[in-house]
Amino acid sequence: MLNDLLIAFQAVATIENFLIMAAGIWGGVIIGAIPGMTGTMAVTLALPFTFYMQPIPSILLLVALYKGSTYGGSVSAILIKTPGTASAACTTLDGYPLARQGKAGKALNMALYSSCTGDFISNISLIFIAAPLALLALRIGPPEYFMLMVFALTTVAGVSGRSLLLGLVSACLGLLLATVGEDMYGSFRFDLTVDMQGGLAVAPVLIGLFAIPELLKIVVFRNTETQQAMQLGDNKVTRAELRRSIKSMLKGSMIGVVMGAIPGIGPSAAAFSSYGEAQRTSKQRDNFGKGEVEGIAASESANNGCCGSTMIPLLALGVPGDVITGVMLGAFMIHGMTPGPMLFETNLNEVYMLFIGMLFSSVLLFGAGKATMRFFSHISRIPPGLMAPIVLVLCLFGIFSISNSMYDVIVLLAMGVFGFFMFLLAIPAAPFLIAFILGPMLEENLRRALAISRGDPSILVSSPITWLFASLAVFVVVITIRQQLKKAKA
Amino acid sequence: MGIARGVMVTALFGIVLLVMIPLYVPRPSFIPGFAPPPDMWPRAVSLLGMVLGLLLLALSLSKKTQAIADPEDAATIRGNTPLAVLLVRFGWSVLAFALFVGAVSLLGFLLASILLLVAMLVLTGYWRRKRVTLIVAVALPLLLYLFFSSALNTRFPTGSLLRALGV
Repeated sequence: MLNDLLIAFQAVATIENFLIMAAGIWGGVIIGAIPGMTGTMAVTLALPFTFYMQPIPSILLLVALYKGSTYGGSVSAILIKTPGTASAACTTLDGYPLARQGKAGKALNMALYSSCTGDFISNISLIFIAAPLALLALRIGPPEYFMLMVFALTTVAGVSGRSLLLGLVSACLGLLLATVGEDMYGSFRFDLTVDMQGGLAVAPVLIGLFAIPELLKIVVFRNTETQQAMQLGDNKVTRAELRRSIKSMLKGSMIGVVMGAIPGIGPSAAAFSSYGEAQRTSKQRDNFGKGEVEGIAASESANNGCCGSTMIPLLALGVPGDVITGVMLGAFMIHGMTPGPMLFETNLNEVYMLFIGMLFSSVLLFGAGKATMRFFSHISRIPPGLMAPIVLVLCLFGIFSISNSMYDVIVLLAMGVFGFFMFLLAIPAAPFLIAFILGPMLEENLRRALAISRGDPSILVSSPITWLFASLAVFVVVITIRQQLKKAKA
Repeated sequence: MGIARGVMVTALFGIVLLVMIPLYVPRPSFIPGFAPPPDMWPRAVSLLGMVLGLLLLALSLSKKTQAIADPEDAATIRGNTPLAVLLVRFGWSVLAFALFVGAVSLLGFLLASILLLVAMLVLTGYWRRKRVTLIVAVALPLLLYLFFSSALNTRFPTGSLLRALGV
């Protein structure tokens, strides 16, 4: 294997490949940083260009775009509290407060270090544990999926606000909104208009929920601080902060690797689960949500930790875990390679070249992140009174361009007003978003499990894996209630 | 705020459970095999939401448990500004959003965006720097319009009024 990897290293280490990967990473960072433009969009737009390229450089370009956009999403999350991608929503919890304290550079640096660490660990795992993880993922059926998502939701509800109860209310609201549109058997639910039969897309809900309430806060409360620009000030991550965050970074990367390897779970749930775990074990847990670098480290390492491992089910089983890997599956097939167990027999050299290229792209991500950081951090100098309306217009154009429909724009504005009400009632937005994303899968797996068991709910606790996730969910609830009771007494 | 919030949450989920689901989630006359019906999941979630709302309400009634249900102090969010002023500002923002949606079919996406941007800059209080505001309000939507229509081939609505005028 080592010999094959060395041969692949020689084949990949060409100037042409480096330029392609660098262009992909840069393009991805910029696209990811623009609210409304997603990694999926970047990869889809680049797909036609790959028709004229060699197989491996074309896949590397798509992977680089994916990685760049995942990191880029955190840039706007930190600077303007508008996550460029759903997976960066968790980074707003600590990134934006840190930027408001005049430490935007520190937050961006920590996001970059953690993203690169997560990405690198994810790539290493792809090389060495692709096959066993893929086999484990195959053993996860509807009841196990359901319990895994219940655990992820409980974690998010517990950590993203000051009250578990309010977090659960928020999650219920998200789950309910996710039922709008056509269900798995073709029934339409809550279709008040014809447009609503297609359901609500993630991008307008995500951006409406996080970006628009910021504008409304500035308009309604008009604090004097909103008229002043943020100071760049403290840019460096200190050694003490890095040492403090390293554990969360490594743990987050592993959470990202495992959750990324399970088709459909995705980086958003991984980021929030990692954040929850970091908050639970950190000595600085009271500072989480107020601008804690460890929070950024946990979230960013986990969402980038998914980048490599989402390729595991694709390469080992031929199963795309999300939309982006679905597009990549198309790219593989265009170039005459069929992902799945046979790929390791028929195209072993190409697989190893892909592995090595992905490792290189982690290094390039670091370089591209450092180079663009100075440019991006100037954004924080724009006064929020001017910035927030600009972001609104960016969101309107970005969202309209996704579907060429005013329906998504209306959803964006309506979600903004709804998000503002949630803020007024101190209901956290993060559990809502995760519940909205996981909702359809949660319901689908519950209904499938009940159909398999002929309506018997005991199927949900019928295997060791379901027991494991159920116990973890109960553990999180108990720990959170205990912590909140302690705080209430103090 | 805790009691009001508890009532609102309970009422919201109650309306969904008792009014919206019977009206907008029809049960098919035939469900094959043991497949759960389409209203099973929304009903379960609404019921859970209602229980959580009632729990919030109950915890807010006692001073001992209030801190669990209501950890944030509402006054710190609102500040000293009178509620009427806040409501008027909020009302203006929502009106601007509604007018934007209405104006798109009449004036087109570009012009409606420029007007919305001007309105929001006035509402945020940044309007005092008129020159910067005007440049940003015109240049930004125009640049975005050109970028999205040329790079991504997005076809923005042109507006019936402008079409009638031959623009």
